[in-house]
Amino acid sequence: MIGRRRLGLGLRMVLALLLVILAGFPLYWMLNTSMTPSTQLYGGKQSFIPDFTRIGNAFGVLVTGVPFLRWMGNSAIVAIGTTALSLLLATLAAYALSRYRFVGKGPLALGFFATQMLPEALLVVPLYSLFTTLGLLNHLYGLVLVDTAFAMPVAMFVLKAAMDGINYEIEESARVDGCGPLSILQIMVVPLIAPSIAAAAVITFFDGWNEYLFATTFVSDRQSWVASTGLASFIGEFITPLDTVFSGAVVFTIPAVVFFLIMQRRIVSGLTAGSVKG
Amino acid sequence: MSITDSADIGTHDQAAPVTPDIRPGRSRLARSPSRFRLAPYFFIAAAALYLVLFAGIPVLKGVDLSFTNTQLLRPTGGHYIGLANYGRLVSSDAFLHSVETTIIYSFCTVMGSLLLGTASAVVLNRWFVGRTVARAILVMPWAVPTVAVALVFRWIFNDSTGVANGTLAALGIAQVGWLTDPNFGMISVLLATIWKVTPFVMLVVLAALQSVPDELYEATRVDGADMYSTFKSIVLPYIAPTLRIVALLMTIWSFRRFEIIWLLTGGGPVDATNTIVINVYREAFVHSQLGLAAAAGVLGLLLSLIVTVAYFYVEMRSERKNGAFS
Repeated sequence: MIGRRRLGLGLRMVLALLLVILAGFPLYWMLNTSMTPSTQLYGGKQSFIPDFTRIGNAFGVLVTGVPFLRWMGNSAIVAIGTTALSLLLATLAAYALSRYRFVGKGPLALGFFATQMLPEALLVVPLYSLFTTLGLLNHLYGLVLVDTAFAMPVAMFVLKAAMDGINYEIEESARVDGCGPLSILQIMVVPLIAPSIAAAAVITFFDGWNEYLFATTFVSDRQSWVASTGLASFIGEFITPLDTVFSGAVVFTIPAVVFFLIMQRRIVSGLTAGSVKG
Repeated sequence: MSITDSADIGTHDQAAPVTPDIRPGRSRLARSPSRFRLAPYFFIAAAALYLVLFAGIPVLKGVDLSFTNTQLLRPTGGHYIGLANYGRLVSSDAFLHSVETTIIYSFCTVMGSLLLGTASAVVLNRWFVGRTVARAILVMPWAVPTVAVALVFRWIFNDSTGVANGTLAALGIAQVGWLTDPNFGMISVLLATIWKVTPFVMLVVLAALQSVPDELYEATRVDGADMYSTFKSIVLPYIAPTLRIVALLMTIWSFRRFEIIWLLTGGGPVDATNTIVINVYREAFVHSQLGLAAAAGVLGLLLSLIVTVAYFYVEMRSERKNGAFS
């Protein structure tokens, strides 16, 4: 029996190594490409181990060459705006769905879920004309408004699951003391679900950070581009050296990966509860 | 009380003739169906109106657009042409091909990510040296922005300078036009997609696995069951509900997935990866046929709806059978 367990352990480690290589290789290759001189890249002589002394050189280009830092700043504005707006709307909606029974609750919850089915490619045309009417084209806050429509329902399910999980008794005694629901939400519920709020914040932040289709269609002014549009503009363009493009990709990826790693446990418990119950 | 301001707002929304449910023994606010409450509507109103404005109305406008012959360059110059767009789509080989492509793409993405994600979760579920590091690396692809994913896979799959063909050449195998050969376009897109979405499946299944009680494992171990039959008879039934909801999410997300396909192949080579949503975007922004594009989008949305309704129907039936509703 111990023999079988050892075998299991060995087998799992071999499988884990294999999976790690599969998952890690494209990321490693991104990093490797960013540190290989583009002459080597175009000559098809990319080494499997990059020249690490080129780190400074590779990433220095971003400051001087392309307006990459500006695009990253724009992405950050969109992402922060999406997070703030999503969390505000989602917290209130989650409280209603978690704490009350009311007419229309089922259809409303279904409506939130239904947003996950909507193809952006279908919505982009009507939204384009809506944006033209409202004068939102080429404005970053326009992107905040559309990204929130997709990110907020996910945040709502994560927060609802978290609220479902906390004990209601304390809130009840606060009600006895004459405390209104909004202040109960503010001073009792929100602090208790702070970890889930943080997880929802990470999820919504990167919805805004990564979004490409709306950003590319609604913002044409190069100075107002977000990083995803800027990076994608290098596809099929041969003026910008490839190592610079990949330096941009690495810099654009790092914040996302680091935040996800820090928050992964909370994101998982939130998502699991949210998707299974919601 | 020190929170008078917010308490005022709190009481304000209770202006309707309701009294708080504060009797002992009542654990939920609105157990009594006879009482109409304003508070929940107040809380959900902003989010609901928001979704109506930025998702509901655009969808309805999209449906409306699908009955017209509107052009991108003359967005207001369209006329209602009834079901003509739908008729054109249903009788067009190109559209039927894109439906088929969508189904193949979604099926392979869902199966691939479920198998690989579940396998990864099973591997990670119990301790081994370096498990924390392995989990961190396995979860990373999920966090990588799609544009960066597309850039790196385009480079890996580059015909002449990519590492995929470089490796094949070193092994003495014929090189492949990963993103240029119609026979390989779908495979390349699937590899990139599965790479990107598998961590989500893995994380959710891992969470489900960790809720399997240890006693269940112990019982089978005493019986001398091997690893495979333990998984099949004990673990799989336990995580099946999770797998089903993940499969639903992966399916409807696959139906609408645009960015990774568009950035990798743009629907090519020769329509090999031209899914419905890619078709929608091409009709609208390349061929300028907004009405036709909207009709294709509506049909794609219907496909998602059918899958979702079927899923909930099956779930409800199995729950009823198990007596959950009795």
